[in-house]
Amino acid sequence: MTPAEIHDRLRARFGDDVVALHADLRDPAIELRPERLRDACRFLRDDDDLRFDFLRSVAGVDRRDAIEVVYHLLSYPRRHTVVLRTRLDRDRPSVPSVHDVWPTADWHERETFDLLGVDFAGHPRLRRLLLPEDWVGHPLRKDYERPAEYHGIPVGRDASPPVARGGGGDRPRPRPAMHEPKAEELAGFLRLNMGPHHPATHGVINFLLETDGEILRRAVPDVGYLHRGIEKLAESNAYLGTMPYTDRVDYLGAIFANHAWALAVERLLGIEVPPRGEYCRVIAAELNRIASHLIATGSLAMDLGAFTPFIHWIREREKINDIMERICGARLTYNYLRFGGVARDIDGETVDMIRRWLDHFDPIIDEFNRLIGENEIFVKRLARIAVISPEDAVAWGLVGPNLRASGVDWDLRRDQPYSVYPELEFDVVVGRGWRGQVGDAYDRFWCRMLEMRQSVRLLRQACEKLPPGDFWAKPKTVKPAANEVYACTESARGELGVFVISDGTDKPYRAKFRTGSFTAMSIIERLSPGLLLADLVALIGSLDVVAPEVDR
Amino acid sequence: MTDESRDPLLKDGAAAAPAGDASPPIEAVVYPGAIATRLDHFLNWFRKSSIWYLLFATACCGIELMQTGGPRTDLDRFGAVFRASPRQSDLLIVAGTITYKMADRVRLLWAQMAEPRYVIAMGSCANSGGLFQRSYSVVCGVDKVVPVDLYLPGCPPRPEALNEAILRLQEKMHAERWAAKRKGG
Repeated sequence: MTPAEIHDRLRARFGDDVVALHADLRDPAIELRPERLRDACRFLRDDDDLRFDFLRSVAGVDRRDAIEVVYHLLSYPRRHTVVLRTRLDRDRPSVPSVHDVWPTADWHERETFDLLGVDFAGHPRLRRLLLPEDWVGHPLRKDYERPAEYHGIPVGRDASPPVARGGGGDRPRPRPAMHEPKAEELAGFLRLNMGPHHPATHGVINFLLETDGEILRRAVPDVGYLHRGIEKLAESNAYLGTMPYTDRVDYLGAIFANHAWALAVERLLGIEVPPRGEYCRVIAAELNRIASHLIATGSLAMDLGAFTPFIHWIREREKINDIMERICGARLTYNYLRFGGVARDIDGETVDMIRRWLDHFDPIIDEFNRLIGENEIFVKRLARIAVISPEDAVAWGLVGPNLRASGVDWDLRRDQPYSVYPELEFDVVVGRGWRGQVGDAYDRFWCRMLEMRQSVRLLRQACEKLPPGDFWAKPKTVKPAANEVYACTESARGELGVFVISDGTDKPYRAKFRTGSFTAMSIIERLSPGLLLADLVALIGSLDVVAPEVDR
Repeated sequence: MTDESRDPLLKDGAAAAPAGDASPPIEAVVYPGAIATRLDHFLNWFRKSSIWYLLFATACCGIELMQTGGPRTDLDRFGAVFRASPRQSDLLIVAGTITYKMADRVRLLWAQMAEPRYVIAMGSCANSGGLFQRSYSVVCGVDKVVPVDLYLPGCPPRPEALNEAILRLQEKMHAERWAAKRKGG
């Protein structure tokens, strides 16, 4: 259904509570009154023609005269999208929470509360998510000013001189307790902190565990230790100046964030990419996907106690790094894409290098599987552990390999095609319960292993088809007219979406990144009850969460 | 007899006999094959050859730190291996951005390490806040929280650069005079 038809349906049902359809936007948005928002969302989810079962993202926008909350929805069965938005009073913004319509809204709303101070009425635990509990102010407000110091640490560059050497024993001051349960709730349970410095948490993430011996009662993720405020920085940078920041949204899959950002701005500008540029993008993206999956599968094995496979994958990753270095000059933070193409061409020698590496890599996958992937000890650690049903996966907003491992056949490269993926042949890998149940930790691992094979296939075709011609149609200026757009790519961790609002200047008015790890992180609390402590490590590893994607 | 010019332990003026003295060098008196050196040199030689670093990574640099420990750069060659606990570590490599939420924890990790301890600020973020120095949540340099021995530029630095940093740190360690200080000399 088109947004106009959806608007008509909503209007027939909710009358004047549907304020307007902003059809002039790139992604037309339906504006609703906040009071009826929850009812409208329920209707959108349950109506048989609409069936919006996936809440992509919730973004707050400070419009200076009001606060807007924007909801991006997608329907897997009906394959259509819609954007809802609602305007709130800036001094006292309040909107009904939709966490009971889509459970994934829980974290999205907490983030919006944290960064913009929007009150989601009916939310069970509206606390800060990314910033510390005792932080003052809401940074994504346009009139936000950062404090002079925090816990005695000066804020800003030109602050006091470095601390003197020595002393040593001074302990940090006590922090305000988070998620503090009542004493009687904890009777018979042990509370533990896992993180923020812990090798198995994949970056700085803290888990507050409540355990009864080895059995978990609950594991509550406490995130934000790597919240670098990329969304705020994007507002003060030119469009191209934000490109290096997108690298750091997901440093294991920098190309995907590059790509999503480029797609969004290109849609705002209305420019096309020459075919060679598109192929260069696909080659870089698929190499990056393999590199990312190498870390995902290798570090999963390492978390479970097998160190050798990880070293094998690091060795392979070095070779991808060499190729990427030839392509774009960087090993990790590529900054490769430009609006209208890519920064550098992929020459014939590099193509040969990729081909040679693919010939070498194909048998290595088999070797890896003999070593660990089909190793019975490893399989037993993963099979039937932390099973996610397809309904849960969709409701909690899982994306990418995590979603597909639960049996949902959805891949943005095929189902919302972008770039030249329609011209290339590949299969979408869907979980089949290879060693147990659909949606268990082993399926999530094995999906990634099979996806690497598909990436190899894609790379071979792309190298074959790489057309001659320009690789970059450089736009004269990057100054899009006022508009709003949501663009997304299939990253190694699933849908990586960028929501951009332009206002006619050379800087975005608001940029919001919707990432796969963020939602993957939010499902852990639901899956944790009853798991063994050691299985929690398998769960975290199999979801492939990366800290900067959670925190941004 | 040992050859002073080739023996690393005897460099830096630690030679046994003063010039012009007719008495035989001490190695010859004890037994052939023995070496004479200062206690400081001896201890430093051990310390610098087994730098255990804390397995601590916050952001992008952590991936390069991982690659540095991997088969190509292979930090193990220099006796540097990672430990998961700060109690067992000599070196804290701050690999990545430090946010205000994380800053207290970094200080705690550092405080948990036994002395002598060393800190390498790896990458622009740990040096100065780097790309994120204008952000509201990022500490502009880890030296605002813990003392830093070595600043390693790059965003992120290559594994070779980190390797070089470890070698520089070894030089620094080797020049220290713990025993001499204690004696009051």
